[in-house]
Amino acid sequence: MKFFIEDLPILFPYPRIYPEQYAYMCDLKRTLDAGGHCVLEMPSGTGKTVSLLSLIVAYQQHYPEHRKLIYCSRTMSEIEKALAELKALMKYRADQLGEVEEFRGLGLTSRKNLCLHPSVKREKSGSVVDSRCRSLTAGFVKEKKERGEDVDLCIYHDNLDLLEPHNLIPAGVWTLDGMLRYGEEQKQCPYFTARRMMPFCNVIIYSYHYLLDPKIAERVSRELSKDCIVVFDEAHNIDNVCIESLSIDLTEDSLRKAARGAANLEREITQLKETDADKLQNEYAKLVEGLREADEARDEGAFMSNPALPDDLLKEAVPGNIRRAEHFTAFLKRFIEYLKTRMKVLHVISETPPSFLQHLKELTFIERKPLRFCAERLTSLVRTLELTNIEDYQPLQEVATFATLAATYDTGFLLILEPFESETATVPNPVLHFTCLDAAIAIKPVFDRFSSVIITSGTISPLEMYPKMLGFTTVVQESYSMTLARRSFLPMIVTRGSDQGTISSGFQTRNDPSNVRNYGALLVEFSKLTPDGIVVFFPSYLYMESIISMWQGMGILDQVWKSKLILVETPDSQETSLALETYRTACSNGRGAILLCVARGKVSEGIDFDHHYGRTVLCIGVPFQYTESRILKARLEFLRETYRIRENDFLSFDAMRHCAQCLGRVLRGKDDYGIMVMADRRFAKKKTQLPKWISSALMEADANMSVDQAVATAKRFLKTMSKPFPIRMQEGISTWSYGDLMQHQEKLGAERDREMRMAGAYEEGYEGVHGDQVMQEAQHAEDMIDDDMDDAMLGMDV
Amino acid sequence: MSRLAQSAFVPAVRREARPAGSDSPDEICPVCKSSRYLNPNLRFLVNPECYHKMCASCVDRIFSHGPAQCPIAGCTRTLRKPRFREQTFEDLKVEREVDIRRKVAAVFNRREDEFEDTRAYNDYLNDVEDITFNLINGIDLEDTERKFADYERAHADEIKENAELESQEQSSYRVLQKKEREQIRLRREAARREEEEDKRLVEENRREQLRRLAAGQDASVVEKDGQQVQLKRRMDRRAAEERQRQLHARDAPPTPVTNGATPFIKGLKQRKGKEAEPPVDAFDGIRYKHQYYSLQDDYTYSFLDNAKKDARILAGGYNVHEYNERALADAFAGLGVFIADEVTERAKLSHDIEVPTEMAATEAQDVKMEDPV
Ligand code: SF4
Ligand SMILES: [Zn+2]
Ligand SMILES: [Zn+2]
Repeated sequence: MKFFIEDLPILFPYPRIYPEQYAYMCDLKRTLDAGGHCVLEMPSGTGKTVSLLSLIVAYQQHYPEHRKLIYCSRTMSEIEKALAELKALMKYRADQLGEVEEFRGLGLTSRKNLCLHPSVKREKSGSVVDSRCRSLTAGFVKEKKERGEDVDLCIYHDNLDLLEPHNLIPAGVWTLDGMLRYGEEQKQCPYFTARRMMPFCNVIIYSYHYLLDPKIAERVSRELSKDCIVVFDEAHNIDNVCIESLSIDLTEDSLRKAARGAANLEREITQLKETDADKLQNEYAKLVEGLREADEARDEGAFMSNPALPDDLLKEAVPGNIRRAEHFTAFLKRFIEYLKTRMKVLHVISETPPSFLQHLKELTFIERKPLRFCAERLTSLVRTLELTNIEDYQPLQEVATFATLAATYDTGFLLILEPFESETATVPNPVLHFTCLDAAIAIKPVFDRFSSVIITSGTISPLEMYPKMLGFTTVVQESYSMTLARRSFLPMIVTRGSDQGTISSGFQTRNDPSNVRNYGALLVEFSKLTPDGIVVFFPSYLYMESIISMWQGMGILDQVWKSKLILVETPDSQETSLALETYRTACSNGRGAILLCVARGKVSEGIDFDHHYGRTVLCIGVPFQYTESRILKARLEFLRETYRIRENDFLSFDAMRHCAQCLGRVLRGKDDYGIMVMADRRFAKKKTQLPKWISSALMEADANMSVDQAVATAKRFLKTMSKPFPIRMQEGISTWSYGDLMQHQEKLGAERDREMRMAGAYEEGYEGVHGDQVMQEAQHAEDMIDDDMDDAMLGMDV
Repeated sequence: MSRLAQSAFVPAVRREARPAGSDSPDEICPVCKSSRYLNPNLRFLVNPECYHKMCASCVDRIFSHGPAQCPIAGCTRTLRKPRFREQTFEDLKVEREVDIRRKVAAVFNRREDEFEDTRAYNDYLNDVEDITFNLINGIDLEDTERKFADYERAHADEIKENAELESQEQSSYRVLQKKEREQIRLRREAARREEEEDKRLVEENRREQLRRLAAGQDASVVEKDGQQVQLKRRMDRRAAEERQRQLHARDAPPTPVTNGATPFIKGLKQRKGKEAEPPVDAFDGIRYKHQYYSLQDDYTYSFLDNAKKDARILAGGYNVHEYNERALADAFAGLGVFIADEVTERAKLSHDIEVPTEMAATEAQDVKMEDPV
């Protein structure tokens, strides 16, 4: 289908378009035109990716700036899917335009997924692959080879140098698979092909980390220009990704390894002094001048890079007392010893970086400034020493990163030392958490650098939360509802059992037999009435285990067993994938199955239960976070102090976004149907926090039901669903053909005209409207204050 | 509800901690051979004289009666009991290193703000580190120690001054930190109070509604009223809080700890480019301003024509312009003095001196002579 949005011609690779897709594209275009950031929530299964790609590609090709698209997704499979969509889109465009456009689209993932070297690719761990690859490709190894020494090189990497540097791979869109195949044919490394071709690509698709993890971003994404369009897809968890990328955990074991690493460095230095003292002298001279980085800008394989140092600092010379290599190793050793002594403390400590530094200085005479340069200096040293087995130095690298971060940021971080694993443990097993509390730190460079950042997901409500937490402003902020020709999904809130007793996973009542029995009854009833698959989400593993064992005692599982197979998610990913496989088989062959899983587990995030794989999703309890965690408490406090987000608001928001994720699992398209049950009395007050597309489908009457009412409604719903529903009945309502779209545009145009004419008249009524709005907002705030929030605060989930 | 960081901030390493270097359970005292395996309370001490480790009871036994030789074979140092202490670091080498650093840091305590450029400061740091490193590893020991002593002697005053500065900074930093912690605590409490207040209000409202329902009023009306009341109350309070907050924000000093302005990194000395030397001013700033006339560049006055052109006069440096100036100054010399005014002025000194003169000036404008001739 070809149509115009304002002056922009768009080629959409399907004959029909959903109304929300059209709206989504319009808002995207508005954002790009205005040159700002936006947050968009698009219901799951409505073709978000394809609308995004077709709009942006059209935008790129139409306007002379040819802004590059950087599309970030979370997992390998999502990247691959997006690449496939892009490929299909480009093919469609070529068919329509009658010529193949000059266009490049590439995906990038880690070496582990893209390596072709026969022995390296067999390594299991990503860091080992990285390190072995480095030992086969680093510049100094190549030099050695040229000098005639006997060293191994990777032929796949070498072959790249024989090609034209800007044309390593023919134009077009390459899926990861396609890259691998091409690489194998041409004997060239797909990883480095992608890395080196990045400046010449129109579209780059890779994982979040290449932009958000400052250690990687600095190296991979440095050269991307300012006018790139950055998209974060499935971004509902983006704040956690940001935080994780800057948080570091140190254990006694990792410190020991780091100390060993430092000792190794020392040995290497003495060796090098005997064999080739000039190298060290050269490095020293360079550091004196502050010339570092000048010549290494293009070092692809650098050991690590600096985590989030302000630019002006990067230009400064390394402090004098860590300039000499041996001084620096002594410095590292001292720092590690200090950390070891801190680990010996037997009570919980939480302190801010400045107070940590103060104490560090008192005890070891380590100043802040050299500490700041730790990561930088270590990289330089590793390069000078030409080390190849860098995976051995990973713990040391972690310590250095920690040092740099602690010395750079006064706020937004906290050190928490937990000497014992749990409250009851007696043998100390200390962990030093250096946790980032402020999601905005990691993502700030992205917002600073790129003019348009688009944050989008199926469930990203409430929209205002994200700009607040990540510290940016939006030009467009929109949530779309799902247009449906018939009501194809049924959200319900069940607050009571058949005996009218309230049900809740709240702390006080969660293990009451009557409560558990009511949950059991709910499960039994739905297992009877639902065809094929049911997915059940619990707030935590611990609660799931306890409730399952209670159900076992009550004979509930036996009843469920009659109609469905029961499968359980475990923290072990292999077991879980086996369970999933069995689940799918059982759903496909008609036996039907129930999958019991956890709202924050793997299943809730990445796995789709489309069509018969999931007809009902049961959310048992509000999935609050475990609030006794010190790290979470610290973060809550930080959010309150810095962004004025109240603790309860955040906890509730976080629980509901996970809940929405879970609910969204069963509905993966417009021809899909499913039942969504939220079973907890506390949901009744939280329905405003659901994404718009779910909450608008939630009838007032369905928002406060007992189990038997819910069962009756569900039965009725399934009956209507079982009637055949010809596609043509959706036309014009939930899907538009070209004609429908034109009609819509005309109508819009007419409306706009009318509005213009009426503008004067509106002005007067405006005050009143505004007042109403304020009142509404206040009402909303009212709803958010839960009298039973204390449940959440009392340590819900362990 | 217990919240974060009750024990926070006080880094109490020694208290309530496992002793350093206690990782192997079967550690044996090299002197009396008793092991931790048999005696879990075994404590090891070291003496910074030679850093040989031995158990506390051996220390008691051997050194209680005054200084004695270290009992470790091959060590000839004489040790005193009071100097024995528990080790802080697991690695005794680091323990020793830190002791040496303490000594060095007490002497080489120049501050970054004494230096004018980074290079110089870095070179200084490098030199200090070299000296420290030599002391630690026993390289050129004599030479280094001599250097050390020389420096100490030469810079005794500066060292003392810097040490004082340092300790001042430390204490002010502590005060600051304490204040901040207190503020955090207050804010935390305020948040908690707010929460409780909210809860109390909800509860109160509910009770009120129940009461009214019990009294037989219409349920829907009661509910609506209740909501309204609550809403209003909350909004009032929110507004009040917001005002309060804004007030506070205005009063509060700008946040003291920001990046870069912390007591750790002070930056280089503020470099003031040397001020250009001003021309010598014999009268120390007093300038003669002509108020009552304006000096023209040139006056047609036949008497001077000759002087303007005659090389004999000009060669000597005679300047007609200056002559004009002087002549005019002489002519007007007494005009600005108003004796009557000055008398009143002396009487009320509080008045601004400028005013009368200025008035005089405006008056005098009229008499400005265009052409004195
Ligand atoms: S260059 Fe490519 S193929 Fe060779 S080892 Fe590295 S990742 Fe593997
Ligand atoms: Zn002993
Ligand atoms: Zn000794």
